[in-house]
Amino acid sequence: MQRDLLELGLTKQEQQALQNKRAGIFIFQMSWILTFVCLAIVNWQMRFSPNWMPDPNDRLGVTLATIATALLGGSVLLVRRGLHTLNNHHLSQFLRLWLGAIILGGIFVILIGYEWVVIPSGTQYAQVFRLMTGFHMVHAVCIGIYMGIVYVNGRKRVYNANDYLWAVEAGAKLWYFVLVAWLLFYVVIYWI
Amino acid sequence: MATAAYPLGGIVAPAKRPALSEYLRWSIDHKIIGVQYMVTSFIFFLIAGGMAMLIRWELLTPATDLMANGSSYNTLFTLHGTMMIFTWIVPMFAGFGNYLIPLMLGAKDMAFPWLNAFAFWLIPPSGLLLLAGYFVGPAEAGWTSYPPLSTLFSPDGQTLWALSIHLLGLSSILGAINFIVTIKNMRPPGMGWFQMPLFVWATFATSIIVVLATPFLAGALTLLILDRVAGTTFFNAAMGGDVLLWQNVFWFYSHPAVYIMVLPGFGILSELLSIHSRKPIFGYRMIALSSLAIALVGFTVWAHHMFTSLQPELRIPFMITSFIIAVPTGIKIFSWLGTIYGGKIRLNSAMLFGLGFLSLFVIGGISGMMLGSVPVDIHMHDTYFVVSHFHFVLFGGSVFAIYGGIYHWFPKITGRMLDERLGKIHFVLTYFGFLFTFFPMHILGMQGMPRRVAEYDPRFQDLNVLVGLSAFVLGISTFVLVYNAIISVYRGKVAGANPWRALTLEWQTSSPPPAYNFVGDPIPFEDPYGYGTEAAQAYLAAMEARFGPSYDPEARNKPKPPASISPTPAPEPSVGD
Repeated sequence: MQRDLLELGLTKQEQQALQNKRAGIFIFQMSWILTFVCLAIVNWQMRFSPNWMPDPNDRLGVTLATIATALLGGSVLLVRRGLHTLNNHHLSQFLRLWLGAIILGGIFVILIGYEWVVIPSGTQYAQVFRLMTGFHMVHAVCIGIYMGIVYVNGRKRVYNANDYLWAVEAGAKLWYFVLVAWLLFYVVIYWI
Repeated sequence: MATAAYPLGGIVAPAKRPALSEYLRWSIDHKIIGVQYMVTSFIFFLIAGGMAMLIRWELLTPATDLMANGSSYNTLFTLHGTMMIFTWIVPMFAGFGNYLIPLMLGAKDMAFPWLNAFAFWLIPPSGLLLLAGYFVGPAEAGWTSYPPLSTLFSPDGQTLWALSIHLLGLSSILGAINFIVTIKNMRPPGMGWFQMPLFVWATFATSIIVVLATPFLAGALTLLILDRVAGTTFFNAAMGGDVLLWQNVFWFYSHPAVYIMVLPGFGILSELLSIHSRKPIFGYRMIALSSLAIALVGFTVWAHHMFTSLQPELRIPFMITSFIIAVPTGIKIFSWLGTIYGGKIRLNSAMLFGLGFLSLFVIGGISGMMLGSVPVDIHMHDTYFVVSHFHFVLFGGSVFAIYGGIYHWFPKITGRMLDERLGKIHFVLTYFGFLFTFFPMHILGMQGMPRRVAEYDPRFQDLNVLVGLSAFVLGISTFVLVYNAIISVYRGKVAGANPWRALTLEWQTSSPPPAYNFVGDPIPFEDPYGYGTEAAQAYLAAMEARFGPSYDPEARNKPKPPASISPTPAPEPSVGD
């Protein structure tokens, strides 16, 4: 999607606007990921609490989360592939890949949501787990809804490779953000 | 030069100054938004200043007599501090940035005009949300809102406080993204990074801090809100929570926030001192890069606010980083002194406030070094010495810079000069009112008077009376500026495009600037601070030929022609010109 701007047939003003949007969303992502870093630090500091995890058996296993992570990773791959196909004028293939990405993302949210519900309450570990995964799920659901809107617009033939597809690119970049934020949490919650 | 981001629909070219109603509604013109920021934040400044007057009135006597009880006093200093920081200094500098950055860069607007307006319109409801706490029991845990004061012992207004700061933080982040993208992408051809005005550099460094630090405040506030409304126990020690968690995360934002509040002031000062000394800035690159250095080192010092609660082995590293940050700050101070040394100094109101900043901020910086030293800080912690220190930085520094900036750019914004006589009265009242309000607090602190108390040992009363009376002078001084601004908008001398004969681009257009800021492409001078050269003289002469003569502040006794000067009529907006 990062084609040379001159190839896109944009006016100079449109090129400037596109550069601004790309820079803006990049800075926003760099900024907002730090909120997730902040919650990772909360996780680390709360481990010193006497009520962190009185019973080591309370710790969640990694299996389900690893499956969910793989699904989310697969979802991102579909998004990337979808952008590539759209650039090559294959709208119907783009729609299939994009829908697949949304479905995989939905399964990811359901799996982590299941852990959110079943984790035993009463410890700081459970509280911090729910905080982190809940915060992440809010982002995944909101951005997933946005991707759904992109999909619906795609079915209405709003997008094609001859017009510049900022709405699609933005959706993809936000979905990458969801993956990066999750990978941070996945490592902190399940492996460290 | 094509610097417009994209067609800016909605801006109507003003033939002259925009009507008052333009400022009361949604606009995507950065100049309107800039003024909206400034006026809104000034209103909050007056409200928070009124609270300060009540605080000092209460402290005229050692007993609690003006307030109904200690809680009322707690409420006052909580809202005073919070509003001064989040609804006055931070948005006021955002207002300067909004108005000036596109002009200084020769751009037609900010990179994201709609986002710019949205960021502003988050501020008035956020400020009102803070004040709305009075209807449900206002926050009373101080602007730092340490748990458990802010969780177990504060009424519902504390929740509104947290929501309000959340919104203000979002506004800051959106604004900062806009500044960074505008500065990075929208400079004109020929203006490299080291040809930018230093105010632009300062805003750039400030914006980096905002986007990197504010998310941590958002995280901390989320935890606080959850503890208050959702039954979590992150900060409840009885349930295994950790009150130091708040302090760590809060100060990781809030110490860098000090630089958010003062770096733009540094930028304003660099403009004032060079222009009103008629000398090139001394050490341009060092001033520019030291802003970035402050921004980065500022992230390594947060725990010096926690020396009394920190593990002892961590104190020394944070003491050392706190001392290190004095180095880039010192570079600036010496560069400014080098700038004015030997210059043709104009002692006008803007310059007086600039020099006032220089003298007072140095005192605040030195007391900051004292507090950065562990043994001194443990002795002075939570005393009036701390109150004195941060007021020297934030009032002696930031507010003096804001005042200087107002006197300097008022002619550009309104097309009229502020009255110099009133300006000097304002300066004298402010400078001495400030000095006698806050300097004695050093002594009170060293003698052991704690901060945040409505009742105190009677042996402190004499100094508190001096402080209180001086504070009232300081409070009154503000209204001299308000009066000056109101009459000058309507009856001030017509400024013309460039009354200070400055070289930066915002002066190379009419006052006030037209829609899209410039008629045709602006021509930046090779060095924004290259005063005193023949090339600069020729450039200024060419600009004067283009925009007409300006008010000459140095020729008071000459017959004054400006009555015939009128701002250059704005052209019809032409997208893409």
